[in-house]
Order: sequence, then structure tokens, then C-alpha cells
Amino acid sequence: MSLSYSIREGVASLRRAKFASAASTSAMAVALVLIGLFLLLSLEANYVSDWLRQRVGELELFLEDDVSESLAIAMHERARNTPGVAETDYISKAAAQAVFRREFGEGSDLFFDEPFLPASIKLRVSSSYANPDSLNALVDHFESWARVDEVIFNQPLLIKVQKNLSLIRTMGLWLGALVILASVFLVGNTIRLTIYARRLLIRTMKLVGATDTFIRRPFIVEGVLQGLLASILACLALFVLYGFVSSYLPQMDSTGGSGPLFLLIVAVLMMGIFLGWVGSFFAVRRFIKHVALH
Amino acid sequence: MIEFKNVTVSYPLPQGGDRTVFSNLSVKIARGEMVYLIGPTGSGKTTLLRLLYMDMIPKGGYTRVGDYRSDTIKPKEIPFLRRSFGVVFQDFQLLPDRNVFDNVAFAMYATGKGGARVKNRVLQVLSRVGLSHKRRRYPHELSGGEQQRVVIARAIANEPWVLLADEPTGNLDPAVADETLKLLISLHRQGMTLFMATHDYRLVKTYPARTLAFMKGQLVEVDPATL
Repeated sequence: MSLSYSIREGVASLRRAKFASAASTSAMAVALVLIGLFLLLSLEANYVSDWLRQRVGELELFLEDDVSESLAIAMHERARNTPGVAETDYISKAAAQAVFRREFGEGSDLFFDEPFLPASIKLRVSSSYANPDSLNALVDHFESWARVDEVIFNQPLLIKVQKNLSLIRTMGLWLGALVILASVFLVGNTIRLTIYARRLLIRTMKLVGATDTFIRRPFIVEGVLQGLLASILACLALFVLYGFVSSYLPQMDSTGGSGPLFLLIVAVLMMGIFLGWVGSFFAVRRFIKHVALH
Repeated sequence: MIEFKNVTVSYPLPQGGDRTVFSNLSVKIARGEMVYLIGPTGSGKTTLLRLLYMDMIPKGGYTRVGDYRSDTIKPKEIPFLRRSFGVVFQDFQLLPDRNVFDNVAFAMYATGKGGARVKNRVLQVLSRVGLSHKRRRYPHELSGGEQQRVVIARAIANEPWVLLADEPTGNLDPAVADETLKLLISLHRQGMTLFMATHDYRLVKTYPARTLAFMKGQLVEVDPATL
């Protein structure tokens, strides 16, 4: 009985104290939009960072001059199956010559008679391999192959990018912690104020002999409902914002499909419920403890 | 039985030190008794009531209500002790966003009761205080006397054995105050212990009963006729 009473009371309180409920729900929704935006930015930043590291961490294997076309293709196949390699591109001597002609224009005719450029295999590693240590290990691995003349990658640039990315990540983590702290503070204070406005209810319940758990329960039900409502509002706002921003930045849509966005929605919903629960739990506990009966 | 045994109460002062409200106070109230508590403002009447429902615990001595003693009670037991009491304050303290029925029912729900039992009991106590016809009204739609009767109905809904009243007629005009006190006395006559703090010596003289008075930090028995 008491549980159904708590649920009924929690729901009824949303209706009875409309203004207070709206205040708590809006505060939570604002906090969740901030957290959601931060998560969304993190997703995008992660994607951009992976993309950047993959591009910078590109390897190129130059084959010896006298490697036959069929052997080069076999080597390409072998390179493609190496762990850590995500994409490969075989550039035959003729293709290299064509690129050279395209890039050098008229002057390239001087070299036209003889294909002097070696065949090569371009490798793009998976994002988890895109760091100097793994790339050096891959370079050593490919250099040990017979008929490979040289393996190159832009190590100084990768180190620089890596450093900058880790600086941005650290700043992002601090910023995220700050956003979450500010949100919890905002929500905690708003809920505390709305519960303060209902101290008479808590006092009366204490006076007639309600247990602390019993007094707390409807407030927690109400907090959870407000959190759920706030998270739905926040998801809608984020959805609209995301649609708006991605209409200007269409490349944002390539962040890995709907999977991460679905996870983001689940995270915001869970966080809303959690914020409502924790906020009301601590606020009402404090009042139960301190409210004077007389 | 209610007992105060060598009870000492003091408050810490902002500028340091303590202010003793009373010390070594001892008194017993039997079950079913009616007792007035009188004394000037600040003498300790409200403090004595707070000691009973253990909103405060004495620094020295103990209070006993039935089987509960302030020096041995666990915090978890305090809500159950409070179910021994119905409490009526001067300032009504009804929940403004609930109607009369819900204000009374609330006290029963809050102690874990439910279903038809609540409905029947609420109608019974509202009828007892003469307000069953106004059960759908909200507190602001009632007069002061009616609001106080709702408070009394709420106080007795859980069938407590003690009714604590702190200046229950303080906000009422004399005629309504008389009606309210008659209602409280009729509840006492049905077996309820009534412990009432009041300033209103006229009522004490008109409806005499055992009277305890605070005088210079001491609680003494006085004859209502001498007031």
C-alpha cells in the first residue's frame, strides 16, 4: 500500500506544485542539454581525432625497382592482411608515373620515356594503431620483408598531432567535469528550494509519525519523474540542435551512424533519472533531518 | 503513562554559554487524565510538549511516554512514538493544496494505512468534529474554528492515546474557542489523555482540570480557581 501511495503522491505533487516542478524540470533539462552537448562534442572530437591520426599516420612501402607486377600485387595482399592495417592502396609504377605527370604538368614530359618511379603500397592503419610506437613497430615489420626498399611515415607530425590531441582531451575532460559539477549544483539547489517550499508537508508527516523512508519516497518518485521528463526535453533540444548544426556542417553526419547517437540518448535519459533521484534524495534527507516540528 | 523525571533543558546562546529553560523537572500524567499547562511566554510550555514527542531530547533526566524513554529510544523508533500522539497547534498547519478529506486522510496514509479503512475512519472523525459536509472544501474556504476542527480530526484519525494541544484556541475568538475546547474535552471524556498548553486562563477557569504552571523555572500544581 505505502509504495502505491508514494507513487500516487509523487505524481500528484507534479500537478499540485506546478511552478516548483516546472522550475526543477527546467533546471534539469538545461543541465542535461549542457551534458548532452558535451557528450556530442566528445563524440565528434573523438571521430575527428581518429580521422586525423589515421591520416597523419599513413605508411608508404616502396618496393624494389625490379619487383614484378604479380609479386607487387601479392605483397599488397599480404600487407592488407597485416593486423592493424585498415586500408591499403597499391600504386603501380604506371600509376605513380601518371600521378607524377599530373602533378608536374608540362615538365614531366622529360621523364616520360622510362617509368623511373617505384611501385608502392599506401597503408592506413586502424585508429588504435595510429600512434608513434605502433607505427614504428609496423615500419620495422614491413622493413623486414624481402623486396621492400623503404618504409616511410611522417613521425614528427604524428607526434605533434598526438601531443595536441592529448592536450585537447585533458582540457575537454576538465571542461566536462566542470559542466557536470555545475549541472549537479544547479539541479541540487533548485530541488532544495522546491522541497523547502514544501517543508510544511514534511513537518506534518513527521508529526503524525511517518518514517523517514516513507517521507522520502514520494519526493524521490517526483524527482525521478522530473528527471525523466527533463531528459526527454533535453533529448528533443539536442536533436533539434544537432539537426541545425549538421545542416551547416554536413560532415558531422559521418560520426559513425545512429549507434553513438542512440547511446547518447540512453546516456541522457539515464543521467536525467539519476540527477532527479540523487538531487531529491539528498535535498529531502537534509530537510527531514533539520525541519523543526514546532 | 507520561513521565518527566529530573528533566533539564538548556539552549546554547549565540554569544556563548547556555540558557537553562528548566532543571530537574519531574511530573507524572496518568493515562486518560486532562492537564492544562500554563505560564508566561518563554517559560517552557512548548519545550515541554516537544520533549514529549521527542523533537528534542533533554540534557539531563528523561521523559517517558508509554514504553518509550528519551534516554533509551533509538532514532528509528521516534516515528512510532509519535503515533501515540495527536498534535494540535495554534497555527493550524493544514496543507493548503489538499481538501479537508485529504488533509485528514493524509495523516493515516503517512502511517502506512490505506484502502476503505482510511475512507471510513476519515468520514467518522470528520463527522465527530461536525465537518463531514465540508469534506471537499479547501482550508482557505474554512473559518478559523473550522480549520482547527479539521486539525483535531487529523490529530485523532490515527486513534492516538494522547492529544497534545499547544495554544489551540490562540487564534480563535472566545465563542469559537469555547466550542473548540468543548470538542477537546469531549474527546478526553471518551478516554483520551489531554495535555494542553494555554495562555487562556478564562478557559482554564471555565472548564477546570488539573493545572500545571511554570513559575520561575519550576513546574507547580495550581488550583484553577485561584487564577
